[in-house]
Amino acid sequence: MASMFSLPSEVMLTSLASQFPCREQQIRSLATLLAIRGAPSRNIVLYGLEATGKSAIAKALLQRLSTESDNSLVNGDSDVPLEQLRYAVIKSAECITGRHLLEQTVGTVAKAVNWEGNVGRCENVAQLVVELGRMLEGRRISDKGATNYRIVLVFDGIDHQREAPPTLLPGLARLGEIIPKLTTLYIVTAPRPNFLHLPGVPHIHFPSYTKPELLQILSSTSPTPQLPSGAKETQETWSRFTSAVYDSLSKHSGRDILSCRSISLRLWPRFIKPILDGQLSATPFGRLLVANRSLFQNESVLIPGIISEPPFAKSGALVQPGNESKGKYQGIAAQLPYYSRLLLVASYLASFNPSRFDTVHFMKSASSKRRKKGGGTALSRSSTTKRRTISRKLLGPQAFVLERMLAIFHCIKDDADSRGRHGLGNDRKRERQNGSADIQMAIATLASLRLLVKMGAQNAGDTMDGACRYRVAVGWEVVRGVARSVGVEAEDYLAD
Amino acid sequence: MSDVGETNSHTGFDAIDHQPAYIYTPSNTNDDALERPTKRRKVARGRPSVLQPHDSINSLVFEPLLGDFETLECVQQRQDLFQKCWSETDARIQSILNEANEDTLAEVTAFVDGPGDINQVDDERVPASFIVTGPNIASQDLLFKQLSARLKKEINGPIVILRSGDASNLKAVLKQLIRDATNQRSEDEELSQEQDGRKLLNYDLEILQSYVKKHGSQRVVVAFQDSEAFDTNLVVDLVTLFSAESCSSWMDRIPFTLLFGIATSVELFQERLPRAASRCLYGFRFDVEQTSSILERIFQSAVVNTKASLRLGSEVVASLMERQYDHVQSVQSFIVALKYAYMCHFYGNALSILTNPSTSSQLLLKLIKPYHFEAIRMLPSFRKLIELRVESQELDRARELIQDDTILVQEIEGALESKDGNILRLLRAFHVFASALSEPPSGIDLYMTIFEGALSNSDYLKRALDSVKRMTPDDLVVFIQRIKGAIENGSYELDLDGWADEDEGLIRELRDVEMKALGLSENSADTEKPIRSSDAIHSKGLRTTVIAQRVQLSYEKSTITEEEKEFINLIDHVSRLLEQYFTLENPKDIFLNELWLCDSADSFLDVFAPRPRAAIENALSAPHEYLTCEMGGSEAGLSSTHPPTAIIYQSYLEAGSLINMADLWTTFHEILSGKKGDEGDEREALMQFYRALADLKLVGMVKQSKKKADHLAKVAWKGL
Repeated sequence: MASMFSLPSEVMLTSLASQFPCREQQIRSLATLLAIRGAPSRNIVLYGLEATGKSAIAKALLQRLSTESDNSLVNGDSDVPLEQLRYAVIKSAECITGRHLLEQTVGTVAKAVNWEGNVGRCENVAQLVVELGRMLEGRRISDKGATNYRIVLVFDGIDHQREAPPTLLPGLARLGEIIPKLTTLYIVTAPRPNFLHLPGVPHIHFPSYTKPELLQILSSTSPTPQLPSGAKETQETWSRFTSAVYDSLSKHSGRDILSCRSISLRLWPRFIKPILDGQLSATPFGRLLVANRSLFQNESVLIPGIISEPPFAKSGALVQPGNESKGKYQGIAAQLPYYSRLLLVASYLASFNPSRFDTVHFMKSASSKRRKKGGGTALSRSSTTKRRTISRKLLGPQAFVLERMLAIFHCIKDDADSRGRHGLGNDRKRERQNGSADIQMAIATLASLRLLVKMGAQNAGDTMDGACRYRVAVGWEVVRGVARSVGVEAEDYLAD
Repeated sequence: MSDVGETNSHTGFDAIDHQPAYIYTPSNTNDDALERPTKRRKVARGRPSVLQPHDSINSLVFEPLLGDFETLECVQQRQDLFQKCWSETDARIQSILNEANEDTLAEVTAFVDGPGDINQVDDERVPASFIVTGPNIASQDLLFKQLSARLKKEINGPIVILRSGDASNLKAVLKQLIRDATNQRSEDEELSQEQDGRKLLNYDLEILQSYVKKHGSQRVVVAFQDSEAFDTNLVVDLVTLFSAESCSSWMDRIPFTLLFGIATSVELFQERLPRAASRCLYGFRFDVEQTSSILERIFQSAVVNTKASLRLGSEVVASLMERQYDHVQSVQSFIVALKYAYMCHFYGNALSILTNPSTSSQLLLKLIKPYHFEAIRMLPSFRKLIELRVESQELDRARELIQDDTILVQEIEGALESKDGNILRLLRAFHVFASALSEPPSGIDLYMTIFEGALSNSDYLKRALDSVKRMTPDDLVVFIQRIKGAIENGSYELDLDGWADEDEGLIRELRDVEMKALGLSENSADTEKPIRSSDAIHSKGLRTTVIAQRVQLSYEKSTITEEEKEFINLIDHVSRLLEQYFTLENPKDIFLNELWLCDSADSFLDVFAPRPRAAIENALSAPHEYLTCEMGGSEAGLSSTHPPTAIIYQSYLEAGSLINMADLWTTFHEILSGKKGDEGDEREALMQFYRALADLKLVGMVKQSKKKADHLAKVAWKGL
C-alpha cells in the first residue's frame, strides 16, 4: 500500500504551471486540496475577478488529476485502477433557473461516472442528495477494485445563478457531509463572508494579474501578421507594443487580460502598417510609436462596436455608421409622423417642466392671473432665493402622467398649426384629433420604440391608462430639432 | 352592458363593436337577472370556423340596394365584380410588396448564409444583422415573414422569430425558441426531450443542440422582430447566453445567428445595450426601402394603373395621404384603405355593375332595370350633362334624356364606350408629364392634380413651361426625345402600352421640332455662336461700364440673330403643343364618372380614424343625443332622467382631482330622489350608484386614491 499522503506528481504540476504562467502557487494549493491522497476537503472556494484563470486552471488540473489517477494501476495485475477521481463541471451561466442547475448537476454527474440507470427528476437540493447518493453508491458497487475514489463537483459562477433559491448554496455546501468522498468546488467572483454558512472552508484567491505578469502572458501569444524581418523581431516589437497598449489604454479601463489582448490584437495590424509599407523599420521603436500615436490616444477601440469594421465590404450594401453622436436621432425626427413628433415634444415638456408651472406656460387666457401665481410676497421670495436650485435639465427627465402630456400636446398643437405647416394652407379638420385612436396609437408606438419609457412595472396597467406614468427618453438636442420640424419653438414653453 | 360583454368576450370580438348605435335596455327589468349567466367554456371551434367562410363565398353577402328592388342577379354581379377587381389589384400590390424587400432579403440571406470566417478564429462573438426598418412597426411583420420564408428556403436550419409581446421572461423566451425551432420540420417524429435517460426541462438549450446535431443544421437564426420593445435585460441575457465571450458558451455547440429589427437606429440600440452584451455581438446594418417610396410604387400600380377598375378621387387620395403623413406611415394601412374603397364602391353603388370590363355594353344594358335609370337620373354627373345640354340650347335632347329611357340608354352606351378612352387620356397625360421633366413632381401629387381636373392651370404645368423657356436647343432635343419615348414605349408600371400610332399628329409635330432644333444646334456648333435660351433672349442685359471713375448703367439691347428668332418660334410652338396636350377634362364632369371614380373622403375618416375616447365622453356627457327622450332625458346637464352613469359622470366632471365619495353619493341620491319626488328606495339607488361607479372604473376614469381615505382619484379629463 502506498503512503497515506502524497502529492500529485511534480511533472504534472510543473507542466501545468508552465501552461498557466504566474499561477503556480494557486495550482499547488488547489492540487493539494483535490488530490486523492492529498488533503481532501469537502468544500473549496476559488475566487477572483474576471479573467484570472479560475475556471481554466480548475478544469485543467482536474482533468490531469483524473487521468493520472486512472494510470496508477496496482502494479499491473488488474485493469481496475486503484484510485479514481471523477469530476463534473456545471456552468451556472447556462442554467436558467435553480432547478435547471440541479438537473444539470445530476446529468453531468451521471455522465462523469458512466451511470447507465435511469435518472430521476431533481427539483430541490434534497432530491439532488438522494440522486447523487444513489449514483455514487451504485458506482462503488459496480467496480469494486477502486478502493480509493473521489468525485469533484465544480459549480462555475454559482454566485451569478439566476433564480437561485436562498437555500441553494448552504444546501450544496452540506452535500459532502451526507455523501462521502465528495468535494464541491465553487468558483465565484467575490464571495460574501460566510456565504456557505459553514466555517473553515478553504478559499483560494486568484488575484488580478499585475503589469509584468500580464505582459509575460501576452508575450506568449503570437500576433498576426508577422513582421517581414522575422519571428524574433516580431516578438520583440509585440512585447514592447503590448506594454505601450497597457500603459495608454488598458491601465485605466480595467486591467482585464482578455480585453487587453483583444485590443492589442486589433490594433496590431494598424500599428505595424508603416513597417509593412516600408516607411519605417521596427528597430527604433520610439519612432514607430510616435508615428502611431493617434492609435493610443483614440479611446474608441475600448468601446465595443456591434457593427463590425469595414474589411468585409459589399459595395453599397453597407453604410458606415456616422461617428458623430448627433446623427443618431436625426433619422427618427425625419421619419416619425407629424403627430408623433408633436407628442414627443409634448412629452419632453411634460418631463422637464414642473407641473405647477403648467398654468404659466400653457394657459392662453389672463396673463394677470399668471403673475399672481408666479409671483408672491417678499417673504416667500427671499426664502426661495436662499435655497439653491438645481436646473431641471440637470436633474434629468421626471415622470409625468399621461393626461398631463395630452393636455400639453393639445396646447402646442394649436400653436404648431397656427404657424402654418410646410406651406400647405389647406383647411384641415383639426378638431378631429381629440380622443382619436390615431393619437393613442402614436403614443403606444412611441412607448414601444422606447422613446417614452413607462415607469413602474413593465406589465402593470394598460399603456393608454390615464394614470400611467411615463418619462421621455430623448435629450434636448433631439427635441429641439423635432420641435422645429413641426414648427414649434420648444424653448418658449420650457421653465428654465 | 357588462352582461353582454361577459358572454361575448371570449369570442374575440363583440358584435357591439361594429354597431353604430348601442341600444340601451334599462336595468329595471329584473327578469333577466334571475337567469343564470351562460358559463364560459371551451368550445371546439376548429372545424365549423373553417367551413363558414367557404360557405359565405358562394352565398350572397351583399345586400340588395335601391330600396330592395335590385334583382339578385345584379347583387351577385356586384359581388363577383368586387371579388374579381380586388383580387387583381391585390395581386399587383402583393407582387410589389414582395419585390420591395427583395434587396434587403438577398443581403440578409447572404450574410446569414455566409460562413463565419469573417472574423478571426478565436473571436466567438455572435454574428448579428441589424435591419433598420424605420419607425413603422407594422411593416416589420411583413418583412420578417418574408425573411423567414426566404431563409427557410435557402438555409439549412431553424428560423425563429421572437416578438416582444410574447417574451416576458428568459424562461418563456427559451421555451418558445426551442419549441418553434424544433417544430419546423413537421414531418419528423417528435424530438425526444430526453438525453442519457434524463428528461430535459423544456427551456434547456440542450434540446436545441441535439436537434441541430441530428439535422446537421448550419445556422440557427433567431430574429428579434421589434428589438426596441424588448426588455433590455432580456436581450442581454439572451445574447450573453448565446455567445461564447462570456463563460457560457452555447455558440460553440449551436451556430446562432441573430437578426434584430430596429425601428430607430443602430447607434441608439447599441447605446441601450450594456457593454456585456454589445461586446458579444458583431454584425452589419441593412437598410430597408423607405415606406414612402414603396407607397409611391403601390399607388402607381394599384390606383394609376390602366387595369385598375376603380379610380380614387383627389379628395380621397388627399385624405389618405394626409393620414399617412400625420399619423401612420404604413403601407398596410394604405392597402386596407384601398380595399375599403373597393368594398364601399361595389357594396353601396348599385350602378357599379356597369363597370364590368369583361361583358359588352349591350349585355350590361340588358341587366339594367327601370330603377337603375332612376338612380342614374339622380347622379350629379347626369345633372351636369343636362345643364350642359340646356346651356347649349339642346332643350329637346335634355327633355328626352329626362323622360325617355331609350334615349338615356343610348347616352349611357356612349358614355360607357368613351369611358375607357377618357381615363386613358388622363393616364397618358400623367405618364407623359411624369416622364418628360427631369425633376417630376411626386406621382401622387400629380395624380391628385389631374383628377381634380386642374392640371392646365396648376403650378406644375407652369413650372414645366417655364423650364421649357429656359432650354437651349440641346436641352429641347432631349426633352422632346423624352416625351416621344414616353409616348412610344408607354409605361410598364402603369401597364400602359405605347400609343404612337394614335397620337400621330403630336408625334409628327414633335419630330418636326426636334429636327429643327437639331439643325439649329448643329449650326450654332459650326458657327461657334451659342444660341441662347428664349428666356435669356427676352431678359434685358444690364451693362455696367466704368468711365473716368464713374459707373454707368445701361440696358443692353440684345441683338437677336436669325437662328435665335427661329428658336423662339420653336419654343413657343412646343409650349402651345404642351398646353394643348395637358388641357384635360375634369373627370368629375364626365357623365357617369360615379361608376369608376370613388371620391367621398368623409366615410374614410370615420372608418379609419375612429375616436373611441371622444365617443365615450360624448355619450356620457350628452346621453340624450343617443337615447330616446324618456329614457335619456332631453336636456343637457344634470338630470334625473339620465342613466346613472351619466349622472355620476356629470358630477365627476365638476369635481376636482380628488373626489369625496360621500359627497358624490349624496349628490347622486338627491338627483335620483328628485325624480321620484319621494325618498325612493335607497338600496336601489345605492345599487345604481355602485354600478355606475364600476362602469366609470371600467372605462378607466377613476381609480382608488392613496392620498386620502374615502376619496377617488380623477384620472381622465374631458376633451383630451
